[in-house]
Amino acid sequence: MKVDQSLPLEYSTEQNKNNILGFWVFLGAEIMLFGTLFAAYFVLADRTGSGPTGVEIFQITPVLIETFILLTSSFTIGLGINAMRKGNLKAMITFYVITLLLGLSFLGVEIYEFVHYAHIGAAITVSAFTSTLLTTLGTHGAHVTFGLVWGILIVYQLIKRGLTPETANKSFIFSLYWHFLDVVWIFIFSFVYLKGMI
Amino acid sequence: MSELFPLKQVMGFALSIILTIIAAGVYFLDGISFPIIMTILLVTAFIQAGLQLVVFMHAGETDDKSAIYTNIYYALIIALVTIFGTLLCMIWGYL
Amino acid sequence: MDYFERFAIPHPSPAIYASMVAIGFTVIALIFVLTYFKLWGYLWREWLTTVDHKKIGIMYLISAIVMLFRGGADAIMMRAQMAVPNNTLLDAQHYNEIFTTHGTVMIIFMAMPFIMAFMNFIVPLQIGARDVAFPRLNALSFWLFFMGAMLLNISFVIGGSPDAGWTNYFPLADNEFSPSVGTNYYLFALQISGLGTLMTGINMIVTILRMRAPGMTLMKMPMFTWSAFIANVIIVFAFPVLTVALTMGTFDRLFATKFFTTTDGGMDMLWANFFWVWGHPEVYILILPAFGIYSEIISTFSKRNLYGYKSMVGSMVIISFLSFLVWTHHFFTMGQGALTNSIFSITTMAIAVPTGVKIFNWLFTLWKGNIEFTTPMLYSMLFIPTFTIGGVTGVMLGMSAADYQYHNTMFLVAHFHMVIIPGVVFAMLAGLHYYWPKMFGFMLNEKIGKITAWVIAIGTLLTFMPMFFSGLDGQARRMYTYTESTGFGIWNMISFIGAIGFTIGFMLIVYNVYYSIRYSPRNIGMDPWDARTLEWATPNPVPFYNFAKQPHVNSVETFWDSKNNGHELFPEPYEDIHMPSNSGMPFILACIFFAWGFSFVFSMWIPAILSTIGIFICMALRSLEKDPGYYVTVKEIKETEKKLRGVQ
Repeated sequence: MKVDQSLPLEYSTEQNKNNILGFWVFLGAEIMLFGTLFAAYFVLADRTGSGPTGVEIFQITPVLIETFILLTSSFTIGLGINAMRKGNLKAMITFYVITLLLGLSFLGVEIYEFVHYAHIGAAITVSAFTSTLLTTLGTHGAHVTFGLVWGILIVYQLIKRGLTPETANKSFIFSLYWHFLDVVWIFIFSFVYLKGMI
Repeated sequence: MSELFPLKQVMGFALSIILTIIAAGVYFLDGISFPIIMTILLVTAFIQAGLQLVVFMHAGETDDKSAIYTNIYYALIIALVTIFGTLLCMIWGYL
Repeated sequence: MDYFERFAIPHPSPAIYASMVAIGFTVIALIFVLTYFKLWGYLWREWLTTVDHKKIGIMYLISAIVMLFRGGADAIMMRAQMAVPNNTLLDAQHYNEIFTTHGTVMIIFMAMPFIMAFMNFIVPLQIGARDVAFPRLNALSFWLFFMGAMLLNISFVIGGSPDAGWTNYFPLADNEFSPSVGTNYYLFALQISGLGTLMTGINMIVTILRMRAPGMTLMKMPMFTWSAFIANVIIVFAFPVLTVALTMGTFDRLFATKFFTTTDGGMDMLWANFFWVWGHPEVYILILPAFGIYSEIISTFSKRNLYGYKSMVGSMVIISFLSFLVWTHHFFTMGQGALTNSIFSITTMAIAVPTGVKIFNWLFTLWKGNIEFTTPMLYSMLFIPTFTIGGVTGVMLGMSAADYQYHNTMFLVAHFHMVIIPGVVFAMLAGLHYYWPKMFGFMLNEKIGKITAWVIAIGTLLTFMPMFFSGLDGQARRMYTYTESTGFGIWNMISFIGAIGFTIGFMLIVYNVYYSIRYSPRNIGMDPWDARTLEWATPNPVPFYNFAKQPHVNSVETFWDSKNNGHELFPEPYEDIHMPSNSGMPFILACIFFAWGFSFVFSMWIPAILSTIGIFICMALRSLEKDPGYYVTVKEIKETEKKLRGVQ
């Protein structure tokens, strides 16, 4: 493999550049995926049948906690990439571990939220509204869960193999994924929760 | 230590927190009309998305910059067309 | 035993039992042949684990042709049932299952792999690359498609075929009205193969954007590569919609959610909406690469460069946008207001404009060209008028007010067959004849090829033209029979005769392959058609590394320039070539996906969970694996080239 020293490690081989561009294209597909989920949500949001409406079930506190956790994790993984480019592997791993811990706590709050919904009669089978709400949130949550497993594998490889063109490339792509989940959450926060609570 | 916390990213983070608080304001403040609420939410959400894209995701730093931005804009346009077209067919334009 | 009762066929018939026996015998025969000739190792090494884009392309091609015969058999059964009034060859249930399978197989498992075959085989060669950007992902794409296809195809012997139409509209597809597992098969087969298609989309986009030979700017790419690029862009943005819709449908059927139900706020129309948000772009995913193949063929056999290259590219870019803006025209009669329908009518009309631009470009390419009527060219020439009939009837259907008259009649069926068969199937057959020497090293017989082209073209007209008339007379699609007093009998009889013509045409193709394998000369050189683009600059058969030296490109028709205008195609010295290693992982992962889909189809939760875990383990192993590939040394390259090109 030819390694171009003038570029950051994550871009240093042709395959690395392919991987990064490919992941961006994948994120384009993900935008479409969540766009479709949002389209379904907007159509079905008022179709609550005999179940509860959004105003009745949404709570601001867990939602705000989730939002700030995810925003912070997006910040810390950005710092992780910054540390990687400075060549500081130890700081990078620290930031990645913090990010994953924040992701885990996000997931904890979300699971609490889901259990709460099921408790107050808003399970996924109740109405079109609850189906589409929990599917949209669940798709995002599944992405976060997948990200956690993926992130653990990457941290393991960083510890084991250090910073190589491959591990740097994987770490960078993982950071793209994580930021993207943050972006999706911002839209869920604004147009599912806040719009649904007023 | 400061090299681990570059100003650009710290500012980006601060800005995203502020934007979130502004957006959350629509819940805590009473008496704002629906169109204004939607405007606030749309503006804050899209600025935040742009912030992530440019500050954190380094979208514009390589030769593939134009491909990456075209891809994102294309996806956004098609996603918005799908969302509004679906609403048009299923709700707004439905007899 | 209760557990196994779920696998029984809900509507058995002698034909299905006969199929079971036939499938059983075929599998046994296959295993016997592979064992007797000791081919298991060869199969595993050369095909199941390959990451070579050319071999993957050929596997796509074989699958597509097999599926063409499967879907074609369904078509013949339908036409036979409809040939005379009050026919009892098939009952209503079997007719439903057959038209559902016919549509699904033909679109998803025939047309898609056919274009994938050409994209895989041709695009890297056309842009001067050694492979695609992600070779192993490419193998995974193929195997996911293949397992999806297999999942759909076993449905009619295990558990029952899907029977809600290839559009699978809810609430018909809901548990209440489609109680068999058939619809589950549909949902999972499409989901699995759709995943593969999405991966191909990403793979091809990156390949085309980043792996072109030096000198090949975007506007110097051959037209087929351009069309493949645009088609893959559409794939990447259309398939996620299908993924979501299928997931929602699956949840409705398996987990009692309320997306498309008629109770508890569910909205059945939303399925139709999402299905066509994907479905209409899908039409262009199929047709654009077909147009690309026509462009290559028409330009080669007119001995002229393609007229209006820039307008060709421009029209495809416009189509890629417009194809996402027209989906509502598939359900004008669902109850939207006049304004909504008018908006989508206008966008539908608008998409005819770039398509028309392309037709005129081909005609102008032919004008004053030095035309040579080979088989591929004959298909292309038969395509233009036939496709135009399909195209203009499409404009008729696109007018929302008039569509209330045509909607869901045989007129519609005639329209989309008259578009897809000349547009896609003729293109694939033309491409098959055109690229056959590059793929297999000998040519298909021209004489048989030309007869076949005429038989198939006449078959097309004979089968589908009568449907326009019976449709206007009021024959609805998907009716399994009709009475004599309707007067549809004569039209349907003509259709049946046309379908027999089709069958003869496809038999002739099989015969042609057999005949050419036996009698066709093998020393045809690397450029039997006197072609113009880079893929013909490789020896026959194409070595696994494609190009021994890095080609340099100066124009759209760089190979033509190297032959006639003194362009030096390979100015660089030999260098070691980096190649990707083979891997069994894509095949194994796809097998686990098959088990995953099968478990969900029958709601067998323990295997479903186990296979889900298996999928994640495969992905984790892939993440941890080091996959550096290997190098082909200059010495090996020189030896291979000497063998392939003779003494130079």
